[in-house]
Amino acid sequence: MATYSVANERLRVLEELEREIGASLQSAGNVILELSKEKPNERLLERQAAQFTASVQKVESELSGQIRYLTQVATGQPHEGSTYSARKGCQMALNRVDYARVKLGELARTCEHTLEQ
Amino acid sequence: MSQQRVLPQSKETLLQSYNKRLKDDIKSIMDNFTEIIKTAKIEDETQVSRATQSEQDNYEMHVRAANIVRAGESLMKLVSDLKQFLILNDFPSVNEAINQRNQQLRSVQEECDKKLISLRDEISVDLYELEEEYYSSSYSLCDTNDLPLCEAYWREDPAVLSPEGLSMPLAAATAEQSTAAPQSSTPSHPHVNGHGAGPTEHS
Repeated sequence: MATYSVANERLRVLEELEREIGASLQSAGNVILELSKEKPNERLLERQAAQFTASVQKVESELSGQIRYLTQVATGQPHEGSTYSARKGCQMALNRVDYARVKLGELARTCEHTLEQ
Repeated sequence: MSQQRVLPQSKETLLQSYNKRLKDDIKSIMDNFTEIIKTAKIEDETQVSRATQSEQDNYEMHVRAANIVRAGESLMKLVSDLKQFLILNDFPSVNEAINQRNQQLRSVQEECDKKLISLRDEISVDLYELEEEYYSSSYSLCDTNDLPLCEAYWREDPAVLSPEGLSMPLAAATAEQSTAAPQSSTPSHPHVNGHGAGPTEHS
């Protein structure tokens, strides 16, 4: 996946959003936990509440943006591109190299055998 | 071209459903959270006893918290669906990924071929010397099967000249095929494809 970093930037953003959703629920839980105490820390409460609100808004805006982008880009047709020809060519090149290696090995063995005689 | 691009109905409906799910889940999270905060306020006057009110508030908070978690999980499912949709339908990034992969594979192929060519250039000198040494030595004369290819073709071996034999020189066979009519005059020369005397009888 590291080689496709440019192509999958959007996927990386979506993974980041998943973490953000978890973080927003965590903040909500901390707020309620803090409220349940005898003497809640107001600054912590406000900070966590602001964090929760910011997370939720960020998730909403980013997901809306992704859906808007998909509305513009999706065609409804299946993609028919493939890398098969390049893969086949590469595989044949590797087979050629392997074959040359085998033949050179045989030649070396023959030479050694002849020298030993 | 200012033509409006029209999505297929199914894709448009799907994207609209994604929007709806997003709005509903975010609304559910925010509403339930604010209601929990409101419920946390202790009222001085209650319609039922304080214990009953506390139990009710406790149950309500549990339910609302469960709703927040459900909405969060629904958002995660939405993100997963969006990822899948993106992989299948985001043609710019799919094209880019395909181009990158093709480029990578072609560079590997070119590197392999370049290395093979340089290997060939290096080894051709040594092979020439080895061949000279071999064919000028006594080993090549002892082994009759180890002739160079051209000599093997032009060598006339009586055991091979039967009608069923297939080892006739290709040049002689093609020369014979070009003069296809007078085949009956040369019954001793078999065809390359091994029909032997058959076609000669037809003519």
